[in-house]
Amino acid sequence: MSAIIENNQLPFSAKFLQFYKDRTLLAILLSLFAVMFIYGIFFTENYLTITNFKAIIRDAALYGIMAIGLTFVTLSGNFFLLSLKETASICGVTFAMGMATGFGSPDLAGNFLVSLLAALAVGVVSGVIQGYFVGMGGNPIVVTLGGAGILYGIGAWWSDNLVINFTRPHDAEWLGTGSFLGLPSITWSFILIAIAAEIVLRHTNFGRKVYLVGANKAAGKATGHENFSMAIIVFTICSVCCAFVAVAFVAQMDSAQSNYFSAEFGSSGDMTILVIATVMVGGNSIMGGYGSTLRTSLGAIFIAMVDNMMVLQGFNSGPRIVGVGLMIVFSIIVFGLFAKGSRAQE
Amino acid sequence: MENFIKKITKDVDLSFAILLSFCVYVFFAINIEVFFSHNISFAILERFAVLGLVGLALTICIIAGEIDLSIGSNAALCAVIVVKLTDPLGAPLAMIIGLSVSTLIGATQGFVIAFIRIRAIVITVGTLMLLRGVALLIAEEKTVMLTDFRVPDFITTKVLMYFSPASLTVIFIFICVGIFMRYTKYGREIYAIGGARKEALTAGIPLRRPMIIAFALSGFCAGFAGTVIGLKSGTAQGLGLQYLLLAGTVAAFVGGVSILGGKGGVLGAAIGALTVNFLNTGLVFYALQVHFVQLFTSVLLVIVIVFQTMSRVFDSRQARKSLLATIDERKTSLLEKKRSALGR
Repeated sequence: MSAIIENNQLPFSAKFLQFYKDRTLLAILLSLFAVMFIYGIFFTENYLTITNFKAIIRDAALYGIMAIGLTFVTLSGNFFLLSLKETASICGVTFAMGMATGFGSPDLAGNFLVSLLAALAVGVVSGVIQGYFVGMGGNPIVVTLGGAGILYGIGAWWSDNLVINFTRPHDAEWLGTGSFLGLPSITWSFILIAIAAEIVLRHTNFGRKVYLVGANKAAGKATGHENFSMAIIVFTICSVCCAFVAVAFVAQMDSAQSNYFSAEFGSSGDMTILVIATVMVGGNSIMGGYGSTLRTSLGAIFIAMVDNMMVLQGFNSGPRIVGVGLMIVFSIIVFGLFAKGSRAQE
Repeated sequence: MENFIKKITKDVDLSFAILLSFCVYVFFAINIEVFFSHNISFAILERFAVLGLVGLALTICIIAGEIDLSIGSNAALCAVIVVKLTDPLGAPLAMIIGLSVSTLIGATQGFVIAFIRIRAIVITVGTLMLLRGVALLIAEEKTVMLTDFRVPDFITTKVLMYFSPASLTVIFIFICVGIFMRYTKYGREIYAIGGARKEALTAGIPLRRPMIIAFALSGFCAGFAGTVIGLKSGTAQGLGLQYLLLAGTVAAFVGGVSILGGKGGVLGAAIGALTVNFLNTGLVFYALQVHFVQLFTSVLLVIVIVFQTMSRVFDSRQARKSLLATIDERKTSLLEKKRSALGR
């Protein structure tokens, strides 16, 4: 009520600011896009080629899919999972086990569908268990920190910490290295998953519930949408996304190991922090209730773009990690300053 | 003494921590013959010098109602700085520079958190990556090494059978921080903003001062842990030491802090760190691979979380039950009054 009254008395410049408060981060992100793009065109060789853009989107797809899953968790107000890369690694180990040995029965060895279902099932189980503990009132950070150690331990125990190989003509090639209409399959799945997630969040009952529970837990509880079931569902969605990425990655590499996603994955630092960075750089509110998967996808492409440019300029991993770290801190501080006086203060 | 025992038995979490650490110790003491010996005790105290500090750092942050995820990166950065500067400047000056950098980083984090009023997990995820990158930059993506490995001998010589200068310093830090948190105004402020932030702010406690102090302390402790590790092994890496976050969190939670803040203490942190040390040292004897250590440490964390959550749920149910009982009582007494009034 008071906000409405204040709004009417504000001068024009303040009204302008208020109107663009929501869109500011998106605008900043888009302008940074433009700056990067122009800089890349003029100062980096081989930047403006179709192959390079395909490479950027392909890079973005791997952590973009995981980040879309994580967006559900973040929007529902459960912060984030610290067990992303461990979930991915145990699912990858499961998939490779299925492709290589068929879980003990030689008939099933190399059966793509069984391996995929097993990997997804492992993802669902880990998501449900972690979500259960979080829904019971545990802190998401601490629960998933413990879950990360357990998942990694089980994955390494199961595979004896060895690399599991399977030979090249296999059923999963179309997912790993195949392409359709000139784009790799993983890029297509990124686009499809992004569209599906956006539709689910905007136009279904469940999606609106995610926003409601994230924006106001008490109101959600009062209207009968408790965080208990919500936590289980969103954690499961996130873990299944991790499992899918793991399957695609393992299918590409023809092998799996329990620490494939740990150090120096692709670009900067470890996978978990990179995915969390993607969600934050996109400008989603980490307290929940504000943001969208579209922002996350843009964030993923932006990080991939910056990283790609730094690689082309010949930077080592140190400056690249500093670059991504600076992007996260910058976006957090900008978002925090703009949201000051509203929800960020709780 | 009697007072002390009464205090411990009243605090459920602390007594659970003592029980847990006792159980772990007895389990290994029964199964491994040499576990109860001078050398093993020395080794446990040596590990305590590192894990205890990280546990203490996280305990202070969690008491303030926040959690510091950048502890591993901060320690790695400090280790890289100290190891790199020991050759040109000598160990003491290098240690001072490294520790002041870590403390400054912690204080800056605390200032940003209090200034923007943002949750610490959000900003420390960013600094986790940023500091790791800075450490890699300083180390030039290589493993930094001392040229003279005799330099750090002064922190590992045995003193008084069980101790080394490192572990003695850490115990001294524990006592100082314990006194600071318990008996000074600034320490009590940290408890206040953790336990009931809204009430504390309304009562006139500035948010910035305790937040900066808490994060500066935690940065100092993380930096000291990194210094000890770096000097002991003589090497440091930009990407190392990430396991400290898990170990420190387990130590803090076994020690009885509550994620809601305002609960726990230095004594609990010490007991928690000792429990993790017993576990790690005991597992060494079974010659297990590294991932098993991580697995068992995480299982310990899950046990503690389940216990804490259960006790919290149980407490709230009990409170609700007693509330309902009092409401019932009042209702029946009112009804009786009404009845008697009508009857008359």
